Amino acid sequence: MEAVVERGGAEGAASTAAGANDAGGADPFGFELFRNAIFAIADEMALTVCRTTYSGVLRDNMDFSTALTDGDGRLIAQGLTLPGHLGSVPTAIQSVLRHYGDDMHPGDIFVMNDPFDGGMHLPDIFIFKPIFDGDERLAFAATVCHHADVGGRVAGSNASDSTEIYAEGVRIPPLRLYDAGKRNETLFAILEKNVRLPVKLFGDLRAQLAACHIAERQFLDLVRQHGAEATRFYLREIIDYAERLTRAALRELPDGEASFEDWIDDDGIDRGKPIRLFVTFRKEGDSLHADWAGSSPQVKGAINGTLSWTKAATYTAVRSVLPPGIPDNEGVFRAITVTAPPGTITNAVLPAACAARGLTGFRMVDCAFGALAMLLPDKVFAASDGGNTGITIGGYDAERKPFIYVDFTCGTWGARPWADGLEGNSNILANMASQSVEVIETEQPLQILSYEFVPDRAGAGRYRGGTPYRRDYRFLEAEGLLQVRADRHTFRPYGLYGGSPGQPSRNVLNPGPDEQPLPSKLTETIRRGDVFRHELAGAGGWGDPLERDPQAVLRDLRNELIGDATARNDYGVIVDRAAWQVDHAATEARRAELRAKRAWTEPPAVSRGEMPETGSGAPESGA
Amino acid sequence: MSGWRIGVDIGGTFTDIVLLGADGTVATRKISSSVDDYARAIMEGIASLVAEHAIDGAEIAEITHGTTVASNALLERKGARTGLIGTQGFRDILEIRNLRMPRLYDLAWEKPPPLVERYLRQVVDERIDARGNVQTALDADEARAVVDRLLAEGVEAIAVCLINAFNNPVHERALEAIVREKAPDCTVCISYDVLPEIKEYERTSTTVINTYISPIVRTYLERLRQAILERCPDAHLLIMQSNGGLTSADEAARRPVNIVESGPAGGVVGALAMAGDIGQDDLVTFDMGGTTAKAALIEGGVISRSAEFQVGGGILTGSRLLTGAGYLVRMPAIDLAEVGAGGGSLIAIDAGGSMQVGPESAGAEPGPVCYDMGGTAPTITDANVALGYLNPDYLVGGALPIDAAKAIAALRTQIAEPLGVSVEEAAYGAHRIVASNMIRAIRAVSTERGRDPRGYTLVAFGGNGPVFGAAMAQALDIRRVVVPQAPGLFSSFGLLTADVEHHLSRTFRELLRGIDKAALNERWNALAEDARQRLAADGYGGEAGQIERHASLHYQGQTYELTVPVPDGPLDDAALAALEEAFHAEHELTYGHRAGPEEPVELVTLRVLGRGRRPTAPPPKIGHGAGGAQAPATRRAYFGPEHGWCEAAVIGRADLAERREGPLIVEEYDATCVVPPGVSAALNDAGCIVLDVG
Repeated sequence: MEAVVERGGAEGAASTAAGANDAGGADPFGFELFRNAIFAIADEMALTVCRTTYSGVLRDNMDFSTALTDGDGRLIAQGLTLPGHLGSVPTAIQSVLRHYGDDMHPGDIFVMNDPFDGGMHLPDIFIFKPIFDGDERLAFAATVCHHADVGGRVAGSNASDSTEIYAEGVRIPPLRLYDAGKRNETLFAILEKNVRLPVKLFGDLRAQLAACHIAERQFLDLVRQHGAEATRFYLREIIDYAERLTRAALRELPDGEASFEDWIDDDGIDRGKPIRLFVTFRKEGDSLHADWAGSSPQVKGAINGTLSWTKAATYTAVRSVLPPGIPDNEGVFRAITVTAPPGTITNAVLPAACAARGLTGFRMVDCAFGALAMLLPDKVFAASDGGNTGITIGGYDAERKPFIYVDFTCGTWGARPWADGLEGNSNILANMASQSVEVIETEQPLQILSYEFVPDRAGAGRYRGGTPYRRDYRFLEAEGLLQVRADRHTFRPYGLYGGSPGQPSRNVLNPGPDEQPLPSKLTETIRRGDVFRHELAGAGGWGDPLERDPQAVLRDLRNELIGDATARNDYGVIVDRAAWQVDHAATEARRAELRAKRAWTEPPAVSRGEMPETGSGAPESGA
Repeated sequence: MSGWRIGVDIGGTFTDIVLLGADGTVATRKISSSVDDYARAIMEGIASLVAEHAIDGAEIAEITHGTTVASNALLERKGARTGLIGTQGFRDILEIRNLRMPRLYDLAWEKPPPLVERYLRQVVDERIDARGNVQTALDADEARAVVDRLLAEGVEAIAVCLINAFNNPVHERALEAIVREKAPDCTVCISYDVLPEIKEYERTSTTVINTYISPIVRTYLERLRQAILERCPDAHLLIMQSNGGLTSADEAARRPVNIVESGPAGGVVGALAMAGDIGQDDLVTFDMGGTTAKAALIEGGVISRSAEFQVGGGILTGSRLLTGAGYLVRMPAIDLAEVGAGGGSLIAIDAGGSMQVGPESAGAEPGPVCYDMGGTAPTITDANVALGYLNPDYLVGGALPIDAAKAIAALRTQIAEPLGVSVEEAAYGAHRIVASNMIRAIRAVSTERGRDPRGYTLVAFGGNGPVFGAAMAQALDIRRVVVPQAPGLFSSFGLLTADVEHHLSRTFRELLRGIDKAALNERWNALAEDARQRLAADGYGGEAGQIERHASLHYQGQTYELTVPVPDGPLDDAALAALEEAFHAEHELTYGHRAGPEEPVELVTLRVLGRGRRPTAPPPKIGHGAGGAQAPATRRAYFGPEHGWCEAAVIGRADLAERREGPLIVEEYDATCVVPPGVSAALNDAGCIVLDVG
């Protein structure tokens, strides 16, 4: 018997397996075998990065991605890590190809991070290794990792208050990190002198290189098994296959067009000036187009996104309403197209600062889900916490040794049309893990005083939003710089179809009687003993709160996720606390009373709570 | 004859019992599990086996037991009503977990509900700092009030896990004493006793699981021991742990979290025990049953273990990066990778026109089409029948009639015709695809850990393992496959071969250079002493018990650790330098690179393995009838486009006394071994089929 993974070439020759034909008689099952193998490679690359990395951002936030592309840079397979990176690799690799074309040789490894030449923001360093079979470039192994620090004016290189890219760190155009196997010492030397923790940076670069080497070895094994011609065929076919699946899934959805609007609090520079996000989805037959025209011009603060980032955010929302099992590759992008006008926050141009553009991505996901909710009311959740809050605390200890603590934290989901929103669960764009409190306390001059749910902050609904948590950090060094990039401080997570919006996020210095409220984005000096508190925003609810199962309200009350007032006033549920039972008669009466009092009879599609003046004159949301 | 050993392996549906005499005499029994009281079926099975072989109960020396009672309690959420006491400000550690979800782009994802609901999670105002100093002392009155509150809620068990308590248990001990004083019957577990390691979520989850399953496991083991005592007064009861070692029933009841993955361990341990007969101690184990396939790695005679695992997360579907699907147990366990691929895996064509096999399974009901019990969707077993690998008329020695025509018809209409291929091409395609899915499990435990499976021997067992063993080996470039005797019952045999083991660990987080050697040696000696005491309690005191030491280390800043052995004796500068080099070397082996000498290496966890080596079990003497009696001497079987349809000899295991060339089909009561063309097969001295894949 031939091996299980057998040559895909000549003798396999049966007839067609739904499109897997015409490869000089390729084996109809070879495709599935090849696909299995290629995705296993992308995943193994990811495991390699994850296990060997140094920085908390990578290991815990999984803020990295791995991918294989074909020889022309078309995405074939992406390692399962961060949805936010889907679509970033093709853009980056096209830039490398633009610069180097066919001037690539075995042993070359390329590096880049320039947002205005294919990158996303400076901490995300891309590494590409072309993979050759003889002279022919068959593929690229690609990794992108968020590095803990790439220099610039503040530790962590992710300040939200920089106003030009030049302040944000080392900008690396597409360059050879290795030239035919030879290390580019010049580049390494420049990097070493321009970042705060070169050991970490080089450690993480090594992790990226190790992943690329593993990919190369395994890919070439595949080429040996299948032959170069069949390999090329299968690479094409994997893309076509994903396109077929995507289009088949899109065909199942109703045609239509919907726009949605949402607002970012501000950019941290022009305090109190809301930033508009606006998207229009057009679904027709087996394709979907998202257009971000109408979004705000790019801003001074560092939350400007590149088009690749906007694409990733859009894909994340759309993929979440499509069935599972579609490979994340070029085929998906053919059926789902995304445009955004240059010069906007969704497609920034030089010299925009973009280090903290993560925030905008999360908020674009909220906005894209909102538009999808107008098209597919029973498939989409209400707004989540607005994505992760970035908290960086950096400085120098008494011996001038630098410390950098970078934490990203998020954790509530909007209510779903069929269930409550998740709580204590990563945002859908991120899939990050929290860092252990005890490890933070061992490694950093910090003590964590609290990490737990905050009651009465979730949006009410037939299904309620996820409950937010708080994290309190006490600073133990003499002096440090605290930077926070949060949002949903002014504009609350919206509720859907009668559900209430969630309560806003909060930043507080030294919580207690003399606490000092802080804005959503800040850069501030802190001193020994200072406590910084962050509370996530509560997520939005879905459906009429007066239709919520009273038993679910009872359970939330008993679990102290809500208090009596919320049970009574938001849900109209009266509970006998002695017996922990719902008083059904009193509940009926209270609900009737609330129903009569409220302003609507038909549940509003979107509820945002009170909003400040946005000043755009743009129409309120809606289909 | 005295000195009989019994191995009992409980699965969800069947309980397998094997009886092994000191001379190698073997008797086996497969009975339905009695789910309401597992002990009942076990004792009935033992009674009937013993009676049948005219053995006196007093001649049974030992009963070793692999059980799913702990994992079932978790999966079915039937554990004790449990309360949890934590540090003020950290009430929700158990529920927030580490935020990560196992699936991307899935709006329907639900977290597993926490084992302790929020109103049963209480906090006390106390604080230990990162160095283990008491920063805020525990207030005894508050502590009493909190315990009272939980007892008033009717909890049967209380878990205690305080921030930084891995470094100082003083407050946890105080709370434990309060619970014992107020409610002597309430189970209480503190995190320092269960897992004195850093990382509050991992420690809390593990402590809560230990507490939650404790009453149910203790009751079960007591009942079982009582029943055994009545029938087999001299039999020593040993329980298989997730780490592949046995422990006494007492110790298992004390730390039930150690037996959560008791079930699948037996086969891996059994494979290790065969290393001598095989003449190789680098093995890949491959256990394929009806719904899942599991792989594990044995390197240099050492079973590869992982530091933590998830219970109830469903099965591995490819990547082990995406975690969070189940309940986290941070305890050393055999590193098993599992994929949803078995005889019952369904074959289908997806919307993109590609063939998919599994992870959905036809299960026991309705089962494969060929069982003719209502199944209409073709499965891997149907494909194996269509390919001529499995007997077209019956399986299990005639107990299970097979309708090959139905299997072939289902494959033709649902798979072959839509794809435009012949039935055998479709069936063969399914065979290869399921094999490639299972290869991901093997890669997960080998190449993903920097181990190249080429050069390893594949040990194939489980009902379906021997059907796929040769094909898997060929795909992985493995040269040799070993199919043990009674492959379908191999896990129970494995139980008979395990050692008694106790795995202990403690966080000791310091840079290697400049480490406090006195403190290190003291800490390590204390751990070893603890292990010795546990061994002594299990009857392996003094010389009978061995101590092995390991250390988990990383480059400063990494979170994942690698574990390397540590030699005996006090650690001096030379030993520490050797330890550092061992870590560099392991890092290079696993990840392909090492950091420069200037990069600090940090010690994270001290580990001690106490081992009580048990007398080796004699090789089982299993009768192997020649295959020809009922079956035709040959059968047409399809081996891919290269070989096409071949006449394969259908034989019994005993017919392999001389090496024979494939194609062959070795039919046995509980499994079928497929020997493709180009592969030869022979028996070794221990009665295993050895396939030479060439």
